[in-house]
Amino acid sequence: MSFCGTGLRDVVVGVLALGSIGGGTAFTQPPPAKLTFSLTNVARAAGLDSRIVYGGATSNKYLLETTGTGVAAIDYDRDGWLDLFFVNGSTLEGFPPGQAPTNHLYRNRHDGTFEDVTAKAGLAASGWGQGACVGDYDNDGYDDLFVSYWGQNRLYHNRADGTFEDVTRSAGLTNARTRWGTGCAFVDYDRDGRLDLFVANYIDLDLATAPTPESGLCRYKGIQVACGPPGLTGGKNALYHNRGNGAFDDVSDSAGITRAKGTYGLGVSTLDFDNDGWADLYVANDSNPSALYRNNHDGTFTDIGITSGCAYSQDGKPQAGMGVAIGDYDRNGTMDIFKTNFAGDTSTLYSNSGDGFCEDRTFASGIGINTRWLGWGTGWIDLDNDGWLDLFLTNGHVYPEVVQLKTEAGYKQRKVVYRNLGNGRFSDISERLGEPVTTPKAGRGAAFADFDNDGHVDVAISNVNDLPDLFRVTDASGHHWTTLTLVGTTSNRNAIGARVRCASGGVVQSQEVRGGGSYLSQNDFRVHFGLGDAARVERVDVRWPNGLEESWESLPVDTFHVLKEGSGRGQGSNR
Amino acid sequence: MLGVAYYHANDPAHAIEHLTPTVQRLAHSSLERREAVQVLGLSHYLAGHLAESIPYLEEVRPLVPDDIKLAYALGMAYAQTRQPDKARDSFALTFHVAPGSAAAHLIAGQMMNRLELEDLAETELKTALQKDPRLPEAHYLLGQIAIFRSRLDEGLALMRDELAINPAHAMALYRIGDIYSRQLKWDAAIAALQQSLWINPYFSGPYILLGKAYSKTNQLEAAEDMLRRAIQYDPNNKSAHYLLAQVLQQAGRTEDAKREFAIAERLLGEK
Repeated sequence: MSFCGTGLRDVVVGVLALGSIGGGTAFTQPPPAKLTFSLTNVARAAGLDSRIVYGGATSNKYLLETTGTGVAAIDYDRDGWLDLFFVNGSTLEGFPPGQAPTNHLYRNRHDGTFEDVTAKAGLAASGWGQGACVGDYDNDGYDDLFVSYWGQNRLYHNRADGTFEDVTRSAGLTNARTRWGTGCAFVDYDRDGRLDLFVANYIDLDLATAPTPESGLCRYKGIQVACGPPGLTGGKNALYHNRGNGAFDDVSDSAGITRAKGTYGLGVSTLDFDNDGWADLYVANDSNPSALYRNNHDGTFTDIGITSGCAYSQDGKPQAGMGVAIGDYDRNGTMDIFKTNFAGDTSTLYSNSGDGFCEDRTFASGIGINTRWLGWGTGWIDLDNDGWLDLFLTNGHVYPEVVQLKTEAGYKQRKVVYRNLGNGRFSDISERLGEPVTTPKAGRGAAFADFDNDGHVDVAISNVNDLPDLFRVTDASGHHWTTLTLVGTTSNRNAIGARVRCASGGVVQSQEVRGGGSYLSQNDFRVHFGLGDAARVERVDVRWPNGLEESWESLPVDTFHVLKEGSGRGQGSNR
Repeated sequence: MLGVAYYHANDPAHAIEHLTPTVQRLAHSSLERREAVQVLGLSHYLAGHLAESIPYLEEVRPLVPDDIKLAYALGMAYAQTRQPDKARDSFALTFHVAPGSAAAHLIAGQMMNRLELEDLAETELKTALQKDPRLPEAHYLLGQIAIFRSRLDEGLALMRDELAINPAHAMALYRIGDIYSRQLKWDAAIAALQQSLWINPYFSGPYILLGKAYSKTNQLEAAEDMLRRAIQYDPNNKSAHYLLAQVLQQAGRTEDAKREFAIAERLLGEK
């Protein structure tokens, strides 16, 4: 988020020539010029009508007021329809008793509308909420919820009756001091079948001592703004091991998560970077190199972000990382990393070469054209189900004061949508899509999930001091799709960490079930594949988080499938 | 005066604390007051209180017309409080160019660009070129802003315009190399960067970019050579060490790569 040293002014850049991109006949045709899909903001009609409060609307004293909140897609009542959880924040002035804004849980009514069930569900907590992630940590079949805070994080256990219980204390997740929890992810890092918990921490912020804009020391293009993060003590990330009895142990140090100094962690996602069947973690750090925690298979991690080329801009400079999206955009079978950054800089696209390294393809892919926007929530999303993952970015400036700068992109900014052209390059189609993509908002978190179960992944967005958005995706291409719900039996029930290969129409695509993602948000656990014109899924291979590999053949398209661990063919494990 | 001592001890906060009442107490025409006002203005400037610094600095400016330090501080304060006309006039005094001239707009543009006020800088530089289309450096600075904004074609054209005025502009050639690198035109990038180095072999930038270009074209020995030369000229260059580490890793020299990564990480931690 820093305005210090994040620009491209002194950038030394260059990228590899495009390699060949695999693909079968059904997918190698250039995409049609006409867009077959559109996005509609259905939030108001859907009943998502509670304002997200976060800091001062026109000026901010502390960075705490700038970062906004996340969104979680959670099927808390197990009805097969994704519900929505929006994290809410606060203001420095606070609120009279009983009037503070709370988080909101919206139950999906299956008819395009949602019902606010926050109070009924026992989730009406207030405070400086940040992010949310979902995971069935006790494998009882009902998804639980973790909410990060500046202050005390909260773990909510799903009682399986439509209500949640705050079990933070009994779970051993009480902080000894105020911490600024941000992105989080449930992950079974030791493959014991139980979900552990990773929480990024941003800044060790003490409002009593933190400098303010009035100090005159903190400026953005001449305007006094909130100070930091450079100059403030970075928060250290945390890893909590699930004991299996409802409690967690803080293993941050022993697992190698804690660095010598804090790194201003924000967006978090699980991924299997090296395709070894063990879950790794990627953290977008602000004003610091990003972290790529490689799982050492022994309960420890090594941060290989720098040595693997996945941490810096391509000229070796740290960027102001915010959100992160993981996906195999080039269909080479490896998980690529996309990271949103500060204004005056590009976002970063790291292509996973499969040999343990990232290739920075920001400019080679055509994404380097945009430097105006300040990106937050982001996700890979196949908008027209053509089998190529497109990119969606939520934007908005950090500082409300930038409205004084007439030539800046503004505090409220439009989204950016890049269409995957299937040849390693992307095209910015934001203007062609028009509203609501081009409607300026102070966007932050975004969760990507198929809320209406129509086979198109939609986007729920948290906006600062505004109502939330829900972008419904519709597509007239007639392309086919399949969505797979993975249910772990000996693996964690959510199957977080599972790798799925989907073969159809001569093309193989790869996906994962992931914890966290985007910016402080949780995406759909269901694995979605756009299939183009392929009329049948020839084969699905799943490598479960515990290493078991099995397959399913000849699945019908345009429908949802539940794949239960142990019910497929060819059981075995090569790990 | 204790406040002046604090200023010289690089403690502007205490200088302000002591000088503010002092200024009010001293006789308006006294030499002591003049000094106090000047130091108070500079202390506010150093403390980042830009708007507050301006009245004090303006008060003493007519009394010390040749003080370029004071004119510079005023220019910076005006620029950062987005008063471009006054900033330009102050920078004109700082650099002894005629107010309102093409040179004054150029200097203002350069300073504003340095402050990352690209919008103001762009306006100044365009005005400079309207006044003098063959003014050296203006196209280059505009080109820099265009590259920063990822408007690469425009940046390339502007760098070429600069070279038309000054064919020995090594930095313009370097920026052209940068643009071609971004466009994956490695041969063109290498040619421009070599030209840049033939004119000025003492700047590390082109060596770094050449190192990158050679590594991307799989000429690892040449890449290593260029990056080591960059480090020779600029031992603490983070990018050079980072890219060298990548080249060494690419060449399978893992231990050497680790050493360079460690240096790059240490340097990046020292920002």
